[in-house]
Amino acid sequence: MQRAKEDPVLVSARREAILVVVAFLAAMTYTVVYCAQRGYQRSLDELKFVFGFPDWIFWGVVLPWSVCIAFSFLFGSVIMRDEDLGSDPESEAPPADASHEGEVPNA
Amino acid sequence: MPEQLDVGFGALAALILFILASMWIGTIANRAMQKGSFLKGFFLGNRGLGAWALALTATVQSGGTFMGFPSLVYTHGWSVALWIAGYMVVPITGFGILGKRLASLSRRTGAITVPDLLRERFGSPQLGLVASLFILFYMSFMTVAQFKAGAIVMKIAFPGTGALAISEEAATGVDTAYLVGLTVFTLTVVGYTLLGGFLAAVWTDLFQSVMMLIGVVLLLCLTLTAAGGIEQATLAAASHTGPNFVFGPGYDPQESGRQFVPISLAFSFFFVWVFSGLGSPAGMVRIMASDSTTTIRRSIYLLSAYNALIYIPLVIICICGRALIPDLPPGKTDEIIPRLALGMTAHLPLGSFVAGLILAAPFGAVMATVSSYLVVIASGLVRDVYQRFLNPNANEYQLRRLSSIVMIAVGAVAVAASIRPVDYLQAIVVFSGTGAAATFCVPALMTAFWRRATVPGILTSMLVGAGTMLCLYGAGFLGYGDPLVGQVTRFRPYFLLGLDPIVWGLANSLLAGVIVSLFTSPPDAALVSRLFDAQPAATKDAASSSTTDATSSARGPACPVPDEMARP
Repeated sequence: MQRAKEDPVLVSARREAILVVVAFLAAMTYTVVYCAQRGYQRSLDELKFVFGFPDWIFWGVVLPWSVCIAFSFLFGSVIMRDEDLGSDPESEAPPADASHEGEVPNA
Repeated sequence: MPEQLDVGFGALAALILFILASMWIGTIANRAMQKGSFLKGFFLGNRGLGAWALALTATVQSGGTFMGFPSLVYTHGWSVALWIAGYMVVPITGFGILGKRLASLSRRTGAITVPDLLRERFGSPQLGLVASLFILFYMSFMTVAQFKAGAIVMKIAFPGTGALAISEEAATGVDTAYLVGLTVFTLTVVGYTLLGGFLAAVWTDLFQSVMMLIGVVLLLCLTLTAAGGIEQATLAAASHTGPNFVFGPGYDPQESGRQFVPISLAFSFFFVWVFSGLGSPAGMVRIMASDSTTTIRRSIYLLSAYNALIYIPLVIICICGRALIPDLPPGKTDEIIPRLALGMTAHLPLGSFVAGLILAAPFGAVMATVSSYLVVIASGLVRDVYQRFLNPNANEYQLRRLSSIVMIAVGAVAVAASIRPVDYLQAIVVFSGTGAAATFCVPALMTAFWRRATVPGILTSMLVGAGTMLCLYGAGFLGYGDPLVGQVTRFRPYFLLGLDPIVWGLANSLLAGVIVSLFTSPPDAALVSRLFDAQPAATKDAASSSTTDATSSARGPACPVPDEMARP
């Protein structure tokens, strides 16, 4: 039996979720590996500053953080697609009791 | 820095203005909420959240952001920047992985709460009940912990109390100022949440987020000027401490050999922040309340920029703080932000008022968090327990009255628990956040993307994730093995292989969920198809109704679908 066509919201949401997970893994790998190599077991004599930040903090945290902001902007404005989310199927509760009419402003 | 930090009346005036503004926003929200049905309006804001409201109210900042976190930077130095670095991807993961699908599913099923969504997606009232109980468990911990923080900020603002005692240890001393602070905080936050429900929580959260940003930027300018720049501050702080203040794994004031951020924890904390955001029930509800995918898209980059403007400056401020106030004793390091606020503004015109504006940042963070949790707890009890199981035919008057009673009761319980404040505030917040993440993240992903997920699989995934967290925290609390990593606190987990428990919780939850789903009967194909397949336009309405009907036994009679609510 032929399978029905997938919901387009599901298709785009899954594609975008995979891309985001890849971005998350890339950011985590770069930051942790870079900082592990350049941020541990050093002496103050070797310390350099980049825009006031200790060099390992700038290259290992501030720079990837900036790249993530740029990627988030790209993702949110270009990559992620707009979809129709639909609307609710029904109201959640039966109408208010007649005996209480007037007591609930939004009933 | 002046030796005596005197809190003038200006700080109190600023906080009172802040409180009045929050109450006013609550009344506006109350009017806006009345446009729709009570439940959807009070607990979901009629699905009308825009981009700014969604982005800046994701409840990522809490009392810990302005209390526990600054204390860690002050104590351990630059390595805390690596500890918090996971926040660089929190906005894109928080909205980009589940956002669109969650918002869509919640509309298709008519779900108002997270348990609602699980129940409707799988046609299982039991699953909804278990999710509700877990949410109530974690949220109760978090809410009570926040009340204490709110009371302490109020106490600091009272002139003449000499109350720069924001630390957990110092706060255990109960005095009149603390009790007054607790009362004012509780009345304010419960009051405006009662008035406007979800919308009040969101709008005040937005207002408070703006105040947080103003406070942080003000303090950044003042401390950088006083310390002579980041580089000067770093060198001065390192001269008072040692090279580990600048490098990993972080400075250890006790020289006990404890490593604050070993590589294993740096790796773990990417998971902690990302999945705590992704699995937060309060965060999920806000996504469900967003008005469109355009809103979700914009929220991603708005929150990205906002987080960077809060966390990186906070690190810089506290590094400067170590240079400017080098010798705060270990029990007093939580005081660094209010001390800097008061010290830096002491010689400014209207300095006390400016200090109050800065103090409004932590106060706002705590209020925003509490109001959001109050809504989630009330919705859990009213919608997921009372309406679903006890009184399916409850009318709006009954639901509204019960919502008010629940919020007042939660406030009263939190006040009672905070009269003798809990210890380990920050650790409890981390436990609740990561516990909720290990319990809900994998089930939420399976719910959204996996057709083959079954009720036993989702239940097992939740139970195993939560069980793993409880076991590892229990082992740590009982003193089983301390690998000398992370924070110094009695309420600490057992770091198996040096990793935070959330890594094990997520892994076990995933394994259990997948294996049990594969070994149990597949879910009802028709139910899955309704939520995973494109619906022919003519049958969309019927599909939505059928999905709801499938689980309507405990929900009362289904209502006819009004024409104006029909899908386009």
